[in-house]
Amino acid sequence: MAQKITINPITRLEGHGKIDIFLDDKGNVQDAFMQITELRGFERFCIGRPAEEMPRIVPNICGVCPTPHNIASTKALDYIYGVAPTPAAKLIRQLQYNANFIEDHYIHFFFLAAPDFVVGPDANPAERNILGVISKVGLDIGKKVIEVRKKTREIIKLVASKPAHPEGGLPGGVSRGIKQEERKGIMETANMCVDFARFALQLFKDVVLKNKAYLDLILSDAYNLKTYYMGLVDENKKVNFYEGRLRVIDPNGKEVAFFHPNDYIDYIGEWVEPWTYIRLTHLRKLGWNGLIEGDNTSLYRVGPLGRFNVSEGMATPLAQEEYEEMVNTLGKPAHHTLAYHWARLIEALQAAEDLQRISVDPLLTSNDLRNMNFQFTGKGIGCVEACRGTLIHHYETDDHGLITKVNLIVATQNNAASMALSVKKAAQNFIKGGEVKEGLLNMAEMAFRAYDPCLGCATHTLPGKMPLIINIYDNKHNVVKTLSR
Amino acid sequence: MNKHTAHENTLIIGVGNPILSDDSAGILVARRIQEIYSASTSIHVVEASLGGIGLLDLMAGYDKVIIVDSIKTESGEPGTCYRLTVDDLGNPSYSWGPHLLDLRTAVELGTRLGFNIPESITIYAIEIKENELFSEMLSPEVEDAIPCLVKKIIDDLKQ
Repeated sequence: MAQKITINPITRLEGHGKIDIFLDDKGNVQDAFMQITELRGFERFCIGRPAEEMPRIVPNICGVCPTPHNIASTKALDYIYGVAPTPAAKLIRQLQYNANFIEDHYIHFFFLAAPDFVVGPDANPAERNILGVISKVGLDIGKKVIEVRKKTREIIKLVASKPAHPEGGLPGGVSRGIKQEERKGIMETANMCVDFARFALQLFKDVVLKNKAYLDLILSDAYNLKTYYMGLVDENKKVNFYEGRLRVIDPNGKEVAFFHPNDYIDYIGEWVEPWTYIRLTHLRKLGWNGLIEGDNTSLYRVGPLGRFNVSEGMATPLAQEEYEEMVNTLGKPAHHTLAYHWARLIEALQAAEDLQRISVDPLLTSNDLRNMNFQFTGKGIGCVEACRGTLIHHYETDDHGLITKVNLIVATQNNAASMALSVKKAAQNFIKGGEVKEGLLNMAEMAFRAYDPCLGCATHTLPGKMPLIINIYDNKHNVVKTLSR
Repeated sequence: MNKHTAHENTLIIGVGNPILSDDSAGILVARRIQEIYSASTSIHVVEASLGGIGLLDLMAGYDKVIIVDSIKTESGEPGTCYRLTVDDLGNPSYSWGPHLLDLRTAVELGTRLGFNIPESITIYAIEIKENELFSEMLSPEVEDAIPCLVKKIIDDLKQ
């Protein structure tokens, strides 16, 4: 009897995000689709606005990752006005950006990843959350996570006025410098973050990698997906969150593209499917080959695992040591979806080390904050590596600097097709014979959560959550079982 | 907005996204309150496009907090005004993720982690119509309800 399983939010907002799993007559997973809604009209909303307003507007697209939007937008302005930021301004932008990386990555790890690995994927859902994690690792660790978050957000606030929706960012510079008396606090935060990053990685190794069951899960076929990968690297092909060129490798690890983000149109295609609102990106030169993995795929993944795979190392020494350990364990390219969590922690360490470097740089307190030697071009493409993956802001203006076109490629969009495949593959491994238990569905969701997807779109309407309902349908579309969160 | 210090008494937080149509209702109500209490040293008003833990950061140290927000219920009429407590928001839910942590859950988490949670947290909300369309305009029903909610909050502050 064919069945349809739907992981669906209780929705006043129909289609906000849902996963449909279809079972065949034997109760095994036949197919899975992940539908993501997009908010309507952003590109239209911005037309006619002065380009320099964009770094202030775009953080409101998303309450989950506003800082990457702010930085990518600012970089697009650099190109529109044909001006590079001063060295001090670039340093301050990187200060803000690294602080964001640390905060965002740890909140994801301790709230989303750790419950499955520290508490257990089959544990009671009432315990499989941050409180369950804290009860296992201790209240002090929970407080430390919150402290790291607080201190890094204070850095963002220092630079860009509001941590949740930063407003700084000018073409050719930044709006606020760093005073010498503020340096000490930044250094202390940076040192704290490096210590915490090393602790978090050790925790991951002790709790996850040394647990054979968990390591087997990471290495299992259920969570293995062979795709291309894409990410920014510097001139030495090391991971760089702020700038560089985009490198693409194939499922076997061979470089197939290495291009400036200004040329993204030539490499990234967008495909429309009727079952989702999101435009599914793929490698344009290969064409859309559907939701498949392996040698014939045209799908690529971005984010921590993508950056791990496309790079030839990390840019800071301690992170590089951790990178080498991950290579020795998983090999390269690593197609293990759950390894996103490991790569995420290594990136947080690089961000912390870079924060240390910036905190002692004499240039940090320079007053040379703005390059006003404008050579107006009317077109700008700002690209960064957001925590979740490659983010591109493409703007065009008229001769007065008013926006005429906006195109965004966001991180989760890059991963959307692969996420759907990952969920399908995990579901196929864990849901069999029509047996649908909450723990089994959670195993499918683990594939989804590894990407740290950004479906939240800054809607603050009460109660401010996206609850889930899991409906199991028989082949006549009758609900035979309901699970809810 | 006034700057506030931790020893002051009441904080009013207007929550919302200013470019998502009716989602800005809470912010607009807060701005009206701010105009009335701009000289007050014990009542402070902030705008926040935040959820969950972010709101805890703002609330720390205050005795009383009023949160002003939009709401969509299953059958409510747009423009309806509500007065709610944190408990009215249902049970805590940690299922989805930290960035989408709701207020109810954030308060519980904050309490467990030793945050300085205010003694009194009250929520005033307007039932809205549209929060998925990028716009700086409100639906007419929501626009008309703003003065009503402002009055309810002022009456609360006078108690």
